Amino acid sequence: MKRLEQLKNSGNKAFVAYIMAGDGGLDRLKEQVQYLQGAGVTAIEIGIPFSDPVADGPTIEAAGNRALKHGVTLQKVLEEMKSWTFQVEIPLLVMTYLNPVLKFGVERFASECSKAGVSAVIIPDLPYEHKELVQPHIDKEGIKLIQLVTLTTTDVRLADILSGAEGFVYAVTVKGITGSRDEMSEDVKAFMRKVREKSPVPVYAGFGISKSSHVDMLRDDVDGFIVGSAIVEAFNDNRIQEIEPLISAVTATHSV
Amino acid sequence: MTKVKICGLKEEQHVKAAERADAIGFVFAPSKRQVTIEQATELAKHIPVDTDKIGVFVNASLEQIEDAIARVPLTMVQLHGDEPDELVGAIQVPVIQAFSIRTKEDADQLKKSIADYVLVDAPGTDYRGGSGKVFDWSLLDGADIDPSRLIVAGGLKPENVHAAIMQTTPYMVDVSSGVETDGRKDTAKIQEFIKQVKDDSMEQTIEKVGFFGKYGGQFVPETLMKAVKELEDAYNEVKEDPEFQKEYHHYLSEYVGREQPLTFAQRMTESLGGPKIYLKREDLNHTGAHKVNNAIGQALLAMRMGKRKIVAETGAGQHGVATATICALFDLECVIFMGEEDIKRQQLNVFRMKLLGARVESVTKGSATLKDAVNEALRYWVSNVEDTHYLIGSALGPHPFPTMVRDFQSVIGEETKRQILEKEGRLPDAILACVGGGSNAIGMFYPFIKDKDVQLIGVEAAGQGVDTDRHAATLTKGTEGVLHGAMMKLLQDDAGQVQEAHSISAGLDYPGIGPEHAYLADIGRVEYRSITDKEALDAVISMSRLEGIIPALESAHAIAEAEKQAKTMTADQILVICVSGRGDKDMATYAEKLEGLS
Ligand SMILES: Cc1ncc(COP(=O)(O)O)c(C=O)c1O
Repeated sequence: MKRLEQLKNSGNKAFVAYIMAGDGGLDRLKEQVQYLQGAGVTAIEIGIPFSDPVADGPTIEAAGNRALKHGVTLQKVLEEMKSWTFQVEIPLLVMTYLNPVLKFGVERFASECSKAGVSAVIIPDLPYEHKELVQPHIDKEGIKLIQLVTLTTTDVRLADILSGAEGFVYAVTVKGITGSRDEMSEDVKAFMRKVREKSPVPVYAGFGISKSSHVDMLRDDVDGFIVGSAIVEAFNDNRIQEIEPLISAVTATHSV
Repeated sequence: MTKVKICGLKEEQHVKAAERADAIGFVFAPSKRQVTIEQATELAKHIPVDTDKIGVFVNASLEQIEDAIARVPLTMVQLHGDEPDELVGAIQVPVIQAFSIRTKEDADQLKKSIADYVLVDAPGTDYRGGSGKVFDWSLLDGADIDPSRLIVAGGLKPENVHAAIMQTTPYMVDVSSGVETDGRKDTAKIQEFIKQVKDDSMEQTIEKVGFFGKYGGQFVPETLMKAVKELEDAYNEVKEDPEFQKEYHHYLSEYVGREQPLTFAQRMTESLGGPKIYLKREDLNHTGAHKVNNAIGQALLAMRMGKRKIVAETGAGQHGVATATICALFDLECVIFMGEEDIKRQQLNVFRMKLLGARVESVTKGSATLKDAVNEALRYWVSNVEDTHYLIGSALGPHPFPTMVRDFQSVIGEETKRQILEKEGRLPDAILACVGGGSNAIGMFYPFIKDKDVQLIGVEAAGQGVDTDRHAATLTKGTEGVLHGAMMKLLQDDAGQVQEAHSISAGLDYPGIGPEHAYLADIGRVEYRSITDKEALDAVISMSRLEGIIPALESAHAIAEAEKQAKTMTADQILVICVSGRGDKDMATYAEKLEGLS
């Protein structure tokens, strides 16, 4: 994850791609990761399907349900990742709701993630207040717990969350759930600036980023972008190439 | 929650060790624990601002006391001598008056004190101001002292403080020698004592941060944290606000029609040949079930918070109807999420909600029942959190919902307790209530939790049988997990995916259980049993024909279990059933399932 810091210092923007593990069958995961790596993304967030994904919008929920129909579980995803022999050159993250982790066992989750080459985890329903449930275990394995901040995060909380932030900060751009959006509200820019000013680690904008107009609008106020629903949808519709312009819009070196 | 006072502190390290205490006592009277005003002033600098600083005096003058109040400064005064009422009345901070209790007559003296609080202690042997001896707590039984004024001291220590709290339910416990070793305060004992009180299981002090044992918490996306915290603050405020409570009770009586009778079920009693059976008649509430008690409380709170839009989920439609009703009453915008399956099962309630002006959103995802309706309501809340209140319908969800819903439903148990004491002069031997998310059950049980002789039985839906995969018996079959913002017990598979629940009763068709129930099950205070679809339907018939009361399908689960329970009880015993709702909404199901009934 050091690389994210270096990228920030070089002034280039990060592109983090979210995919739903096992959407279309678990054997597709490997090719998707390889494809995205080849397309130049900075890091990949691998989503674990969950029966009750309350932070997600319809696109990711539907992808999760398809994956569940294929019998995909946290354990199977980690096993699959462990079996990979190709060169993984970018950080891989796991994004999962808390319950599958608890059922799997937090300690075991940490050690299996480590064996699977996971550098960080994101648990959207584990707020800062309860992070001790997971943090000590993944600390031991050198895995980072990515924190989310949102437009509704109060300044006091923001300071607390940022003080313990590691890897990068996931700054949510909308008051809502994941999913593509047409508009980005103006106060999002101000929010991103505020977070970035205070954050010891890079700040990436996520939720609702689906087009280069979003990227253009926020480019100067964040260190990177997280794109989920748009990629999940593109993979599902077999038109992932259409995402490439968005990737290059983010990662291309910009002269300011 | 019982408060803790650590008394007789002389050293900085011990003041610091008592950081979690609610009050610190400085002894200014002659004693081996005596401190000067100067020493107390120094020590007070290490005490958190919201901790009370109490000065202990024996027959001091008003000037001496006022001097100490101003200089330390003290927030309370504790008197151990023969101070006259004029002195007690003249002190401008709250006063605790201490009494030594030897006999019942001593205990009667307490009531005459004009002080804000009375402290009871064992008679001193060596000096005034407490001996460290244990007094017989049972002397307080029947003395009719308001527990909110009562401070218990005298021989308390980490090992016995739990029992003292259980027996006397005081405002505060006070300890001095019990946290000493060889006459000097002991850091470890101070901390252990505080821990014993604060983590005292029956006291549920843990709810302070939203946990019941390990269950509960606030496992929600960051976007909701602000709303959840604001709700927590707002609720803490209204809980103590007499105006709010007055308003809430006003609507309960004038609009809902409370209080509801505790009906003696004569024919059912005779037919079962066991205990006297009483029915708590939540079915008589406006809108037909207990759900409205909670809907009114939360809607009033939402308005206090300046929110005029309400989102809610519903299973049977009972909570949806209650919410739509209250939204009509208060002119609030109302969106109700309801599973497609449940919409089919509860057509009439869907129409009722629409008639009342609510928007009903059909949820087709997942099992298309209550669990999925909660998911959608949560998502809607995430997206509209600034102006919308989520009016959850059961004792579920992130803190403060489980506590808040329990409190708004506790009117059930409070009335029942008062009524049974009036009718029978004693508490019942057993109380039964059905458990979906757990709101009618916790509302009924909560006021009886400390009455250990009252057996509490929660009844879950066994659907087609707990050994099939079609049931909703979460506590019988579930395991720990996080769903809908709380750690609770869940029906889930080995990978942590939440499973679908099944019950003929839409209101019990939920794969989780409120966190407080999970906790009460763990500590064994409430026993949870289960009743199948078929048994519940049979109970519908028997209750209808014996008592002329057609119960809701949910309530019929409690009734069916009560029939079994009654067979194990005797004629001199009393059993209470919470009839959480009436059967109007289930008439289509009854007509279909009981076709050919003769
Ligand atoms: C009449 C009735 N009783 C009981 C329940 C179950 O809910 P809870 O366990 O929250 O009381 C419902 C839920 O819809 C209901 O309508």
